[in-house]
Amino acid sequence: MAGSASNEIRAEPNLTPLLDVVFQLITFFMLVFKISGDNFDQRVRLPVAGSAIPVEGSVVDQDRVVLNIDADGRLLWKGEALDIETAIKEIRVQAQLVRRNQSIQGNKIAEGGQLPTSIIFRADRNVPFSQIYRYITTCQANGFTKFALKAMNAEG
Amino acid sequence: MRRMRSQEVEVQITPMLDMAFQLLTFFILTYRPAPTEGQFSMNLIPAAPAIDMAAEAPAADQEQANNELPAALRTLTTIVIAAPDGGIARIIIGENEYQTLDQLKARLIEIVADQSLKFDQAVIQADPALSYASLIQIVDVFAGPAVNLTKLSFTELDPNGGVAL
Repeated sequence: MAGSASNEIRAEPNLTPLLDVVFQLITFFMLVFKISGDNFDQRVRLPVAGSAIPVEGSVVDQDRVVLNIDADGRLLWKGEALDIETAIKEIRVQAQLVRRNQSIQGNKIAEGGQLPTSIIFRADRNVPFSQIYRYITTCQANGFTKFALKAMNAEG
Repeated sequence: MRRMRSQEVEVQITPMLDMAFQLLTFFILTYRPAPTEGQFSMNLIPAAPAIDMAAEAPAADQEQANNELPAALRTLTTIVIAAPDGGIARIIIGENEYQTLDQLKARLIEIVADQSLKFDQAVIQADPALSYASLIQIVDVFAGPAVNLTKLSFTELDPNGGVAL
């Protein structure tokens, strides 16, 4: 053979820039990857409303209770579907917890007083109003006065 | 001093690149850009006849509030009758009936533009069978930029009384 070992041309591609780009892509996807889906049940198909105001960061952080209601009017709570009677009891418990928390913070709220916590309704588009209204009146009876009705800004 | 022979240490990038590509593949496959959720915020205090929905009105404004019109004259009551499928069959404001959301929107724009009417809040009396999607459509018209009537409250329409079907 004419070619000797010393004359071999070794092609070593520089992988470092490629690795840089890949890591940047991974960082991007990690940042946009949403893990906090605890309050947002995927079984609920929200209706669409163009003028629903997107929730900003400061609003998300405020004290709130999210009620996911499926098409049958059941409350989806901690992975379980509660019938309305059990759901009413759970709302009562939540109101008591809010009162206790406020009391610990030095802001005592009397029974029947208005609570600062917002109730966020994430109801399925097919739930009848009678079910929604029952949840609303239950929350009102327990002192909740701040409400928000969730909808999608565009068809998803 | 004797000089040490330099030794080339080759770092194997290939396994790291493999792993990085696997991670990248995972994130690309699981990435689902969710459509943004919005919300309609409102203060709803327990229903009472002609109630003022400004639940958080500060005490300092009390005197000024007393000089205003009573809540009953500032409250626009809208009745929504449901179709059998939960959609909107009819919308009633006063003595007028509307079948579509466009008609409702046009009427609300007229009402808001009328300087003699002082409506700044609305009560939506909804049929129990009305779907949440239809309710949101109504709320969307009220809270939209054209009408901008954001103080809303809800009551349930008695299916046996009130409005004749």
